[in-house]
Amino acid sequence: MFRRIFAQARKELTQIFRDHLALLLALVLPLFLILLMSNALSLTVNDMPIAVQDIDSTSASRSYIDAFRASNTFRVISWPADRQPQEALRSGQARAALIIPEHFGRDLARGTQSDVQLLIDAADANTAKQVNGYASQITRAYQQQLGGGATAALITPQIRLWFNPGRDARKFYAPGIFVLGISMFPPLLACLAMAKEGEQKTILQVYVSSISAHEFLLGKILAIMIVAMLEWVLSMALLFAVFGLRFAGDPTIFIVATVLYAFCVACFGTLVGAAIPSQAAAIQAVSMGGFLLVFLLSGLIYPVRNIPGGLRWISGLVWGSYYIKIVRDALLQSGGWPAMYFNLIMIGVIGGVFYFLAWRAMRRMQVNA
Amino acid sequence: MGTVVEETRAFSSPGDARASVRLVDLWKKYGETEAVRGVSLEVQPGEIFGLIGPDGAGKTSTFQILAGVMPATSGVAEIFEKPSREARSMVGYLTQAFSLYPDLTVSENIRYIGDLRRVAPKEILRRSHQYLSMFDMDRFAGRLAGKLSGGMKQKLALVAALVAQPRVLLLDEPTTGVDPVSRREFWDTLAHLADDGLTIVVATPYLDEAERCHRVALMHLGQIHKMGTPSELRNGLGMKRLELRTENLGEAEDKLSGEENGDGVISDVQRFGDRLDVMVRDVDLGKKKIIDDLPGAPSPDIRVAEPTLENTFVATLRSLGQETRTPAFPGEHPHKDLRGQVAIHARRLTKKFGNFVAVNGIDIQVQYGEIYGLLGANGAGKTTAIKMLCGLLEPTLGDMTLAGESANLRSPAVREKIGYMSQKFSLYDDLSIDENLDFFGGIYGVPQAELAEKKAWVLEFSGLAGKETLITGTLPGGWKQRVAFGAAIMHEPGVLFLDEPTSGVDPLARRSFWRMINKLADMGTAILVTTHYLEEAEQCNRLGFMVAGELVTEGTPSGVKKQQGGHLLEFVVDNPQKAADLLKQTMDRWRVSIFGYRLHVIIDEDAETGKRDVIAQLSKAGIHVHDVREEAYSLEDVFIAVVEKARARGQFAEED
Repeated sequence: MFRRIFAQARKELTQIFRDHLALLLALVLPLFLILLMSNALSLTVNDMPIAVQDIDSTSASRSYIDAFRASNTFRVISWPADRQPQEALRSGQARAALIIPEHFGRDLARGTQSDVQLLIDAADANTAKQVNGYASQITRAYQQQLGGGATAALITPQIRLWFNPGRDARKFYAPGIFVLGISMFPPLLACLAMAKEGEQKTILQVYVSSISAHEFLLGKILAIMIVAMLEWVLSMALLFAVFGLRFAGDPTIFIVATVLYAFCVACFGTLVGAAIPSQAAAIQAVSMGGFLLVFLLSGLIYPVRNIPGGLRWISGLVWGSYYIKIVRDALLQSGGWPAMYFNLIMIGVIGGVFYFLAWRAMRRMQVNA
Repeated sequence: MGTVVEETRAFSSPGDARASVRLVDLWKKYGETEAVRGVSLEVQPGEIFGLIGPDGAGKTSTFQILAGVMPATSGVAEIFEKPSREARSMVGYLTQAFSLYPDLTVSENIRYIGDLRRVAPKEILRRSHQYLSMFDMDRFAGRLAGKLSGGMKQKLALVAALVAQPRVLLLDEPTTGVDPVSRREFWDTLAHLADDGLTIVVATPYLDEAERCHRVALMHLGQIHKMGTPSELRNGLGMKRLELRTENLGEAEDKLSGEENGDGVISDVQRFGDRLDVMVRDVDLGKKKIIDDLPGAPSPDIRVAEPTLENTFVATLRSLGQETRTPAFPGEHPHKDLRGQVAIHARRLTKKFGNFVAVNGIDIQVQYGEIYGLLGANGAGKTTAIKMLCGLLEPTLGDMTLAGESANLRSPAVREKIGYMSQKFSLYDDLSIDENLDFFGGIYGVPQAELAEKKAWVLEFSGLAGKETLITGTLPGGWKQRVAFGAAIMHEPGVLFLDEPTSGVDPLARRSFWRMINKLADMGTAILVTTHYLEEAEQCNRLGFMVAGELVTEGTPSGVKKQQGGHLLEFVVDNPQKAADLLKQTMDRWRVSIFGYRLHVIIDEDAETGKRDVIAQLSKAGIHVHDVREEAYSLEDVFIAVVEKARARGQFAEED
């Protein structure tokens, strides 16, 4: 039994490692994807140019501006008092403009209200909302700093940024992109390897050898798992080195989950390859399944709770949505086994279903007719 | 291998009726289609059993059931009295595509199959070494299977199948795309294995290969129609073959073909490069008929010969209502006025790739209306030569004239005058037949007004009328070849290049191919054709043999046979394998081969001396010779002799 599984796995690995293009696809492309997408994919506001017209020009106004400058969110552009701030928005030099009126410092010192004006380019409503929010937060924080004068609102929100203190969005997205990569490329290899056997008719040689469907499938899956684990190691190295991520706590559940997830995606690819006997069509199916489902419905980018209710249940079937929680937990939150065991079970269950279906498709180990 | 012999001889001992392969009333249905319809047969240990039949006869379905990879609809399929599904460990199966992994090396392929079949790792190593050196392939152990030539792939597939030491070997068209030299070696090996007790069932579209089987069965539309030894089948036909040599073959063919449905004296006419074969029941009546029908011909040269297996094959299929279709080609632009002028002229044509000389100074001249066959083993430089001749590849040295042009061979004006059908790429698999024909009609500039008529002709020629919406990739290979051939001639080129046009095409379809090729030549087209199938090369007007990039022999089919001056002797002996092994010790290996129960020996001296020498040598070793006679020296024999003699002189094609 094991001999045949290992023979099968060795053959698959030989083929994969011989095909440099496939290897590139499996190991290097995911790394590029992480680097590229996590920088490009930034839904939070970062480095937003804001024109600041400081008419008051006192130490108070300057320290207020410094508060903006210190945030990751804004990049302050000093705007001369003699120019209309609207121009900054219209010309596209800034996406927002802050106007600090005369007597700002004096009013604050007196404890009377001072109105600063914030103009926001609301062409992109979502960004505008976020800019509004961040600007208000910074203002509130600044007020607090001032000693929370009597005039300050009695209830001030206590905002602290957890898990990603620098609010570096890339730390959130990079692990997500890693999950996307591992959900796409190993199954792609698996389905290609499977569909190729059918197209090149080598499958007949397998059928005539009386190897069982389990041995055949497990051998193939084992080989793909090894590639997936390699991809995991390389991706982790990249996440650690470039994005400064670390295991937040005990990584054992992460490791176990990764092995299980590698099994799950290998089964997915093998199933598709077994069900669709043409390489081109199988690639389409895996990309649709792997990419669209995992990219859109797993909570990788858009929080699952934002998905319309009628579709939200689908996300419960998407294998990636469970793994992504474990990955983020392992790298950011450290909830560990108690918080994450349910996700682990779900990965196992979905992987098992995929394996069962692949076995059903192959179990007769005969020409379908 | 001595033990194997004893063991299997025990199986075939008279008291024991255990057949190695037994089929009883086997049926296979795919939905509505009935692929196999009640086949029954038995094959004994050590027997080479041939299944021959046209495309779609149900050969591959039968093999897949025997190999245990597909369930039968009903009936019995047993290997050594076990259901075939449970007997898989005893079976080796070579599929049409060889089922090799092109991205694994030779030894990795063998090892994988060995592992799957639970052969001990040490044994895998030992046996693969043994077989690889037996096939002279050890130096290619590290090469990727995808980079091997057709003949090598075939040998590798055989080694992989033999590693598990099967007792039954199933070979589904194992020699498609394999050159004659490799094919002959392959069959020598099979004869050897069968002698060791291995049972071999082989499907082949090549009837000269069927001659090498102990018994053959003729299959058509899922049923077996004739079964017996090759000579039983040939003699069972009850006909004689008249070889007719006359001035105007085309005219004679047309006249005599008209008689096929007449009073029944002439039942079949087939045209070859320098003769017609006329099948008759009665020799005298036949001769008279021919002379009566061809009053203009000055005393035609008629020789009486035995029918071939192909004659039997064709006659049987005809009696079953399977007719070869060669609908009249709607030719609007014949090239008759060009007849006799030179269409292709190459002088000292040479191509070097780095230090490697692929083609070395060949001179070829083909006239309009002539069929020229370019023959050679794999790696002889045929494909490079044909690419240069049709202007696809720039020669390193030498001059070329093509369709009257000697410069700008790639210009559209020249392109429109030539047609090219390559063996590998011909049609787009993912387009429908209709779309393919539209596309090729478009790029070759078939006038819009003629396109519909031409397309209808291609469909009728291919036997696919009404099925034009089928996706090309789903067609069996033979049908695809017919469509590709049709697509290549739709624009009525003056010069036609055909690179192995009939590879994988069954004998019946091959005949309609050649009938069409002859028609085109009659219309004035110059045709240059390559083939691995030398029986087919008989249909060329002139032949050129290439060895290691050089043209070594040229002439008409009868001319090259005379030039070689060899004789083919057929011996019926007690123990053909032992006799062959003995003779090979003193003669060149290629001169001796086993054909079923008979032994073929090629000699250069005169036939009587040859007979005496061989009989003396065999009887000294205690082998009794029952019968000797001289057989027709075939083109394949000539070809092998030419290639082997050139090799002996130190010229040989590098496989690498």
